[in-house]
Amino acid sequence: MFHTYLRFLQLATGALIAFFLGTHMVIMHLPKILGFFGIEIHKPTSWESMMKRAQENFLLVFYILFLAFALYHALNGLRGIILELSPSSRTKRVITGLIIILGLITFALGSYVPVALFRS
Amino acid sequence: MPPRKITKIKFKVQRYNPEGDKAPYLQEFLVPVSRGMTVLDGLIYIEELKADILEIRSLPNFPVIKDLIPDNFRLLHKHTSIKPYIIRSDSQEMEKPTAEYMQAPGQLESYLQFSYCIKCGICVSACPTSASDKLFLGHQASVQCYRYCADSRDAGSQDRFPVVNTDHGLWHCHLAGACSEAYPKGVDPALGIQLLKRLLVANALGLGRKPQPAPKVPPPNEVKLKITIPEFTVPQRRPDL
Repeated sequence: MFHTYLRFLQLATGALIAFFLGTHMVIMHLPKILGFFGIEIHKPTSWESMMKRAQENFLLVFYILFLAFALYHALNGLRGIILELSPSSRTKRVITGLIIILGLITFALGSYVPVALFRS
Repeated sequence: MPPRKITKIKFKVQRYNPEGDKAPYLQEFLVPVSRGMTVLDGLIYIEELKADILEIRSLPNFPVIKDLIPDNFRLLHKHTSIKPYIIRSDSQEMEKPTAEYMQAPGQLESYLQFSYCIKCGICVSACPTSASDKLFLGHQASVQCYRYCADSRDAGSQDRFPVVNTDHGLWHCHLAGACSEAYPKGVDPALGIQLLKRLLVANALGLGRKPQPAPKVPPPNEVKLKITIPEFTVPQRRPDL
């Protein structure tokens, strides 16, 4: 069932990315929609506004989850494309290992920014 | 009456004989055509009148044995790998059946179109994934896996799921839909693959109902016919004939 779980997560993260990306777009670039819900953000792309938002627990969790879902979706998709070239079992293991390492490093670097801003 | 003008069409036939040719090449033939002729008619004309030996059969994504003859071994090997037969725990009944298994018309409908597969391989030859991934299980085997898993008489899903649930299995289908467009018998292989994906996810997450395999229907003890059928006797053959 391992491949089914991997692929189900691929589908689920695809749907979640659409939701998270949509929310990010609304927060950053579509203030009129936020205004419709009674939320006012003054100049969302300004430094002050961004630093203020970075102190919120919700947005810290939001962006770390967004990063995790996007990384999983992208790297698992990349692995699927590479495996379609029918590499040997050993090459397949090496590719999978490299992709996992790449994902972990990227996640550590990517999540460092919101965590550091939250603590500042 | 003026003589009828004969139209000729140029056929470019890819030829290849691994025993003599280094690589496949195109050979051209001029074929007179008339209304109602098919491509196959043209090829038969070439085979009978123009070419010395021309084998007419071709499928992309299949190894070539000679000219247009594809090697179906891989297709049939993948087909047999998914155990394309009813699997049940009552092995004695399977070996020596005493009755039929019950199946409602609705249960039959759930897989009927997929049982029309004639193993022609057209779905595999049209598939872009099969073109790039030679180890891909393919639509034919995947759809036949669904056909048996969806059969209410079957209880062998757990034997088949590991075969389709691999790196080169069911999940590698890109849903291009070329198989369904190419298939000649009205079967929709792309739909079958999506339904099998749903079965696999439901099984992995423990969702959905898990119906028991269909029970046996005891044979009727006494059948009263509504109409009278006259007795039929075979006339004795004369010994001298």
